[in-house]
Amino acid sequence: MLQQIIQILPQVIIDGLTLGFVYAVVAIGYTMVYGILELINFAHGDVFMTGSFIGAAVLFFMMSVGFLSSLPSLIVFIIVMAITAIVTGLMGVGIERVAYRPLRKRNAPKLIALITSIGISFVLEDVVRFFAELKTGNYIITSPPLFNQKMTLDIHSVMPVFNKITFQSSFILVFIVTIIMLIALDIFVNRTKWGMAMRAVAQDRETASLMSINVNRVISITFFVGSALGGATGVLFMIQYGTIDPYIGFILGIKAFTAAVLGGIGNIRGAMLGGILLGLLEMFAAANLSTITHGAMGAEYKDVFAFIILILVLIFKPEGLFGKAVVEKV
Amino acid sequence: MIFGWMNQFAQSKRSQIIFFAAYVVLTSLGLYFIQDSVIAFLLLLFSILILYYLKLSNKAKWIMGFLILAILVPLSASHGSAYQSYMEVGTLVGIYAAMSLGLNIVVGFAGLLDLGFIAFFAVGAYTYGIFASAQASKFMPFGHYPLPGDTFWLFIIAGALIASIFGILLGIPVLRVRGDYLAIVTLGFGEIIRIVLNNMDHPINITNGSMGISSITPPDFFGISIGNSSQFYYIVLAIFMVVMYIVTKLEDSKLGRAWKAVRDNEIAAQAMGIPLVRTKLAAFAIGASFSGMMGTVFAAKQMFVDATSFTYLESTMILVMVILGGMGSVPGVILGAAVVTILNTQVLTEISNWLNQLSTTGAIAIPDALSPAKMQRLIFGILLIVFALYRSQGLIPHKNKKVNAEELKKAASEGSSSPEAGSPSPETALVNESRTTGGVDL
Amino acid sequence: MNILEVRNLTKQFGGLTATSNINMDVKKNSITAVIGPNGAGKTTFFNMITAVYKPTSGDILLNGKSLVGLKPHQVSKFGITRTFQNIRLFHDLTVLDNVLVGMHQRLKSHWAGTLLRLPKTRHEEKEAKVAAYKILQYVGLADYVNENAANLAYGAQRRLEIARAIAAKPRVLLLDEPAAGMNPKETKKLTDLIHDMRTRLDVTIILIEHDMKLVMEISDFIYVLDHGELIASGIPEQIRNNKRVIEAYLGKGAVSNAQ
Repeated sequence: MLQQIIQILPQVIIDGLTLGFVYAVVAIGYTMVYGILELINFAHGDVFMTGSFIGAAVLFFMMSVGFLSSLPSLIVFIIVMAITAIVTGLMGVGIERVAYRPLRKRNAPKLIALITSIGISFVLEDVVRFFAELKTGNYIITSPPLFNQKMTLDIHSVMPVFNKITFQSSFILVFIVTIIMLIALDIFVNRTKWGMAMRAVAQDRETASLMSINVNRVISITFFVGSALGGATGVLFMIQYGTIDPYIGFILGIKAFTAAVLGGIGNIRGAMLGGILLGLLEMFAAANLSTITHGAMGAEYKDVFAFIILILVLIFKPEGLFGKAVVEKV
Repeated sequence: MIFGWMNQFAQSKRSQIIFFAAYVVLTSLGLYFIQDSVIAFLLLLFSILILYYLKLSNKAKWIMGFLILAILVPLSASHGSAYQSYMEVGTLVGIYAAMSLGLNIVVGFAGLLDLGFIAFFAVGAYTYGIFASAQASKFMPFGHYPLPGDTFWLFIIAGALIASIFGILLGIPVLRVRGDYLAIVTLGFGEIIRIVLNNMDHPINITNGSMGISSITPPDFFGISIGNSSQFYYIVLAIFMVVMYIVTKLEDSKLGRAWKAVRDNEIAAQAMGIPLVRTKLAAFAIGASFSGMMGTVFAAKQMFVDATSFTYLESTMILVMVILGGMGSVPGVILGAAVVTILNTQVLTEISNWLNQLSTTGAIAIPDALSPAKMQRLIFGILLIVFALYRSQGLIPHKNKKVNAEELKKAASEGSSSPEAGSPSPETALVNESRTTGGVDL
Repeated sequence: MNILEVRNLTKQFGGLTATSNINMDVKKNSITAVIGPNGAGKTTFFNMITAVYKPTSGDILLNGKSLVGLKPHQVSKFGITRTFQNIRLFHDLTVLDNVLVGMHQRLKSHWAGTLLRLPKTRHEEKEAKVAAYKILQYVGLADYVNENAANLAYGAQRRLEIARAIAAKPRVLLLDEPAAGMNPKETKKLTDLIHDMRTRLDVTIILIEHDMKLVMEISDFIYVLDHGELIASGIPEQIRNNKRVIEAYLGKGAVSNAQ
């Protein structure tokens, strides 16, 4: 059994990292908003989903005008990413304006804000479904081929305990792009004026506003950055996995939130690590559950596995693996 | 002048009764003579809402409400082709109203956002489904399955019990989680239950996996097999009445106050001696039991269960009913359940059909994607947003029950050992041995 | 006789020491004040007594029985209730219901009794409502029984907190800054109420307060905290003239000026 698990381990790691990077970037959106507003932004998973559809739409458009064949794929890819990020970023700002700011102004209970965010998530799902179905007749979309050359890394010949690894070329893209996004974000949060303001607001909104920080603008920027990253990751997801539907954001959103909690909510680097960890664990479970349980449970339980991690972490270590415990003030 | 007249109407009990009677008679006759008129049916149902606002004693309202629902509605709908479909709507409204009342205990009274509430409905449905079909014989070492239809009545209770046990089992870990994390954990649990039910066909076949369980035995009432919506309507009505009774009684009890205290301020509630976990568990268990009962009925009515009926969308739909009606407000939540159910089963499909007709006749071309029947999510989403933002207290806002202050004052002065009336004498309330009253001016 | 004894009570949050080695003996039926500048650890001290926080070390004894390790709701059963510095009423409940919640652990009725409409349960509910009404009369809020707690004026909210706390029939009542935000007239009424509660309700009162006039007038005994440590204790006259206390409040050098 162990031998079997080890054989496929390199493949599991590659697949797990791919998924993990997606989780990591989406998790950042949750963690940034929670850090500042203490709100679980349920709509974030659907911003990610919308991003993947916008990306697909732009890609289809470029294909129809012939750009896809005349321009190098990388340029096409960069254009798609940029447009998607800007659109979803602005969408995030809009969501905050319409749905959360009025509640914040009148100091409504948290429960109410949670409910609005669920509402937004439903609206996004259905609007996207509507457009997809209107344009293509089906809400499940298969993306145009981009970076889908199959590659094989023959580590079997070097280390015979392992099997060969196969992956798409898009994997390298996901890998590089997410790392660039993560590093850029880290620099933004830790080195720039706005990043500093963001951290100040997260620590103590009132004091920050007394220090002449425009809290509302900081919150808008947070939503822009988080949603832009989420949307861009949607594009990566579409290219990597090929098919998308309006409901991918729901489960992926919960898992990304799990990743954020795993890393300690509010902690950006924690969210990155949490995402990668969760991706690896999930892929490991998907590949090996059947082997370990002798066929009693298969890959269909991988979501259950992720939820159980979420529940266990929230119960026993709600501050996360890399966060700090907070004491409620009485 | 109109305003003055309205005012007079609001005060006069007699004119209200006359108006109400006229309304009920008219709508019943309307339904009786124009059988296919959904509008007449809805207007008759609407009379319950009018009844709620009348200036009558609670007992009178209960009796009249019961009479309308149990006799008048079925009777006036009974002699047309649409009879069963009307009763189907009534049955569904009852099922969802009972479930929303359950969720209302959790969300509205105790302030715990549960996003996986449909799981308890699933538990009730599968409990009956497994044992009232051949499914149980696939893994049970003893017994003869399917169980006969007269066990259904026991299964209503069993469904309630098993669902409340699930409520407690889920609650124990879940309630250790604070505030807003609770929402996501309950959501996770809801999904886990759905996925597990969907995959438990191996290694032991308990739920028949994604194939679902079919040919479930219909209930049996003294030899009469119950298969029509018009019959299920009465079962649902009876359970709904029981649920209503439980909810209204508990709301103004020690437990109900404890729930609301926990909702308003956990720390102060604990300081007043309220055990947090036990109080929250009670909310989970009681709320879940309503769902469990209705799950049993649902399985018997559909004669088929599978995991697709118990998704996150369904959980959210019940939440929409609660939010739309008004968190914590019993009449509100019932109204919310009725509105959403009717919207979902009647209005949206009617509009879709109508639009389809228009499209086929070529009057206008509505793309299939825009079909209102497909827009549940959009509508639920908009309802959630609009109500959370602009009317978070819902259609019928919750009102605290008022006590008769005069009566209390009288009782307080009677029980008092103090000679001078009106002077405060708290010692009888607070300590057993009485002391002399110092003339305190507070 | 001491009803409450505190032994070497220490609380640390991470590396921060909120209170260290506090010792107290509170006499039965006394009014004891705990004073000190902001951040001295007074509320932390209350939170440890009511089990909101678990002490890092030390012990709290009520009639010789340790309270450490109990849950907050159990402490209330032992006979300690409190009010809160930042008012924590059940704002969506009526004034009467707030007091009824205060009676929670004294009411024996069970939910099954409620559903079966047992005469015992109904009788108890009725009695409880009358009792709650009397308590509201006592604190002067009887006119607002049906009002939502959130709609009360500030001073009335503070009195409702007291009403809710005494509804539990406590043996020890902890008042956390009961006079905060009150005008002199309201403070005077509060002073009378505290005096009266002690004699009539047979309760021991411990209060945290910044209003020195009130503290000096009302207290039998005073403990002074500063930076989490007990710096003085004694009857009001002793505290009034204690150098360390004046220093703690006004800073060094103020002592000579004050005298």
